Amino acid sequence: MNAPAVRAAAQPKNEALPQRKSRPVRRGLKIRTKLLLLVFFLLVIPWMGYESVREMEKFLLEGQEQALELTTQGISSILGNRSDLFDPDIGVPELVGGSLAELVKTLDEPLAIDAPTGVWAQAIGELVSFTGVGRYECGPDYRPDLLAVRHALGVHESMLFAYFEVDDDRVILRDPELLSLDTNDQIRLTVQRDSGELSRYLLTSQEPGRLSIYLMKPNWREVVDGEALRDIAGTLDPVPTGYAVKLRIPREFLGPGARIKFEIVDIDETKTRAIRQIISTEPDPFRFEFGSVRLTTPELAKLIQPLYVSEANITVWDAFFRLRAQVGSVFPPVREAFGRVPQQQSWASRVEESFLRFFEWILRSPERGLQDMPIDSSREDRRLMGRVLAEGDSITERRRYGEAKLIVTASPIWAAGNIEGAVLVKQSANKLLSLQYRTLQRFTVLFLGVFIFLAVAILVFATRLTYRVGKLQRETEQAATSEGRLLKDRIRAGSRSSDELGSLTRSISALLQNLGQYTQYLEKLPDTLAHELHNPLNVVNSSLENLQYNHAELAEDKHLQRARNGVGRLRSIITSLTEAASLKEALTREQAQSEVFDLAQLVRNCVEGYQASHPKYRIVPNFPDAPMLILGVPDRIAQMLDKLIDNAIQFGSENGLIIVNLRRDEEVIDLSVLNDGPTLPDDIVDRLFDPMVSSAKDARKTHLGLGLYIVRLVAESHRGQVRAENRRGSRGVEVTVSLPFETRRRN
Amino acid sequence: MPTVIAIVEDDSDQRDNYSDVLTAHGYEVRAYEDRPSAEAGFARELPDLALLDIMLGEDMDGGFDLCMQLRNMSPTLPIIFLTARDSDADRISSQRMTAWDYITKPVSLEFLVARVHALLKISDQLQSAPTGSTTLSVGALELNEDSMLVKWKGQAVSLTLTEFWIIESLTRNPGHVRTYDALSDVTRQGLVERNTINGYIRRIRNKFREIDNGFDRIQTVHGTGYKWEQGSA
Repeated sequence: MNAPAVRAAAQPKNEALPQRKSRPVRRGLKIRTKLLLLVFFLLVIPWMGYESVREMEKFLLEGQEQALELTTQGISSILGNRSDLFDPDIGVPELVGGSLAELVKTLDEPLAIDAPTGVWAQAIGELVSFTGVGRYECGPDYRPDLLAVRHALGVHESMLFAYFEVDDDRVILRDPELLSLDTNDQIRLTVQRDSGELSRYLLTSQEPGRLSIYLMKPNWREVVDGEALRDIAGTLDPVPTGYAVKLRIPREFLGPGARIKFEIVDIDETKTRAIRQIISTEPDPFRFEFGSVRLTTPELAKLIQPLYVSEANITVWDAFFRLRAQVGSVFPPVREAFGRVPQQQSWASRVEESFLRFFEWILRSPERGLQDMPIDSSREDRRLMGRVLAEGDSITERRRYGEAKLIVTASPIWAAGNIEGAVLVKQSANKLLSLQYRTLQRFTVLFLGVFIFLAVAILVFATRLTYRVGKLQRETEQAATSEGRLLKDRIRAGSRSSDELGSLTRSISALLQNLGQYTQYLEKLPDTLAHELHNPLNVVNSSLENLQYNHAELAEDKHLQRARNGVGRLRSIITSLTEAASLKEALTREQAQSEVFDLAQLVRNCVEGYQASHPKYRIVPNFPDAPMLILGVPDRIAQMLDKLIDNAIQFGSENGLIIVNLRRDEEVIDLSVLNDGPTLPDDIVDRLFDPMVSSAKDARKTHLGLGLYIVRLVAESHRGQVRAENRRGSRGVEVTVSLPFETRRRN
Repeated sequence: MPTVIAIVEDDSDQRDNYSDVLTAHGYEVRAYEDRPSAEAGFARELPDLALLDIMLGEDMDGGFDLCMQLRNMSPTLPIIFLTARDSDADRISSQRMTAWDYITKPVSLEFLVARVHALLKISDQLQSAPTGSTTLSVGALELNEDSMLVKWKGQAVSLTLTEFWIIESLTRNPGHVRTYDALSDVTRQGLVERNTINGYIRRIRNKFREIDNGFDRIQTVHGTGYKWEQGSA
């Protein structure tokens, strides 16, 4: 046997080595994490849904807008050329929203007509300002510093009290010289009695104090009856900003169901005594609580009544910004439509409620929109109306009040080429919003369901996949030792599954099987080889013996001696080949024969024996005389020690010192054999315990590199580990076997 | 009448070498290369001793089959297996077929002749008159050198010639260690590895344990050899 051949045999391993150190694995996510991340892409769906619902809303709002526009134009054309309906005189003042008694303040005590204005102002309660901003009949050049009215009504038993504070820069009282009544600052009172009959009263005064009251004709110029009325008592008191008017009207005088209207007429210069401005208690349609009075045209109301549109308010105005008729309200009939009645708070309902609240937060509940809807939007209405009446075009606009949406369209009413009035239709978009809300709610619930289902499904799938891959990985890793020895020839996990993973498993199984067969072949090779070599060796051996027997004179022949030596070497090679090959099998078989024994004693005995058979070397046990128990097969441990000593002698320096150490650690006993030979070559230090690896260079000795391999096999069958390293401090190599420590003898 | 020795070996070189040396020692040799020819030969004339190879050409277990046939013809015929196969299974098979010895190749011809000689002598003894005169007793062990008969606690232990020699060597000086080298000489196989000796001892122990489960007389002296521990009984 010569060493280069052994080297050659070991060569492929050398080449295989760099492959073990594969390139570093890129850092990244696990399959399950990846799939779960993918699930989160599903979250785009609700966003899309939300966006599309928003788009839908826009579309629907436009539709609603157009429909409303058409409605408005329809109404305006129906009302076109019907000047009769807009005759300023046929209007009926109407107290909006109920009888007078409900709308005026009930006073605790009757007020004296002569009481100071301050008492009245205090008793009658909050005054409503008629500053006249955009106020009807004021005209565009209205200046609040010239005329402003604050007004309140009160009632006590049979008396109605009215109180006005009029800011007037110039108070023009009635000139006693002049006959006419309407050429001074005056208050006009229109009363519509229940019968529908209209009475007009003019209140005027020549000096601060009592007012004179006359019943007037519709033109407010001529009196019906020259006698001043006594039923109504009133005073005019100058105040720093203008004047205050106190009125006491018996309710009997008005009669039940009467409607009233006040107009403050301002005249500012004494020459022409022309009416500069009129401020009236003309209705502000949305300030019901002011107890205002307004003028309506019953026929007009009757005409538009059938045009009722849900959640819409239709108003018809005349060219003087007077509301002539209205129908409907922007508020839904039942405000509680979206309200929730708090119920018994069970755990589930609390969860549901918080869930709903979450919905509302995300989806903008229309209830909030409803809350944001202003009760009074007259200012905007008047602005819009001003434009329509001025320009003569239909105008549509969308208003937003916080979350509330209001669609407003206004269209002029024409009569013989003149703008006679306008129709204003307001419709709330709440219905749409609530529809949208419900859609989104349904969609969200549906989506959440789908999302959770998908997420769980993918999680389960991914977990299963990961589990399977992990199992496959574990089994694959367990199939071979780190040195590449096969432990299994098939992967069981998931090999029956029909998917790709299953077929991967089967591929690996097949690979392992092929590899196993090959390994088996390789493992059997030494045995087969040995068996095959035995026969020719026997031929040579027996022939040599026969030769020697027949030719006794050749006994000392050097060539014959060398031939016999050669045979001897061949034989020992074959023996060690078979020994290693059959050892693995034998070790598994002998597991059952394990016993607890004293390793120290065994080593000591063995070392004695070695010393006897190798007298040229000094073989020294170097450990305390105390028992060290291990569980194992003593014969095999001795065989292992044989190989350790053989190895130490073979690679130690001639006639050198060999030290056998035993050291007990926490859990293991370290058995080490040290020699003083040359250090280990770097290229084989990792593979020293693999078969057919040897650093021997002496061609005349037999080195199959199986000695340390046998050491490893025995150590591993005893759950031990082996390592070889250069001695620290001094020349030589230390081979160590760590075996698990046994605490006590078993019986 | 010359002693007839049958050799069944498929390798002609080995066969001839065996024949040569045995003929030179005065035996009459009948050499066969395969099972059919050997069967025919045995039918004609039963040899005094048979040397069998197990594997005969393609016939993997030809030697075993021949062994069984011979044993049927003669219960006392010494049979030696001479084979390259060194597995426990083969050894146990040979033992079951009551072969007298099992030698692995390469064999030393000198020792082969010695074995043949020894076995023939034992065979003669058995056939002439079973005498207990040369029986050696070591405690519960009875050892008859002439008939190769070993009894442990009165029960016969079936040993091969080599095993018998080892037991004999161990019990000659009970309590004294027999070194590996000494035991190696006893096996008469030329150079014998320690592991081979360990194998013999293991098989001997097993055979004793089949009779007596608690058998522990053969003790290992690690690193040195074995000794027969003389017990109190």
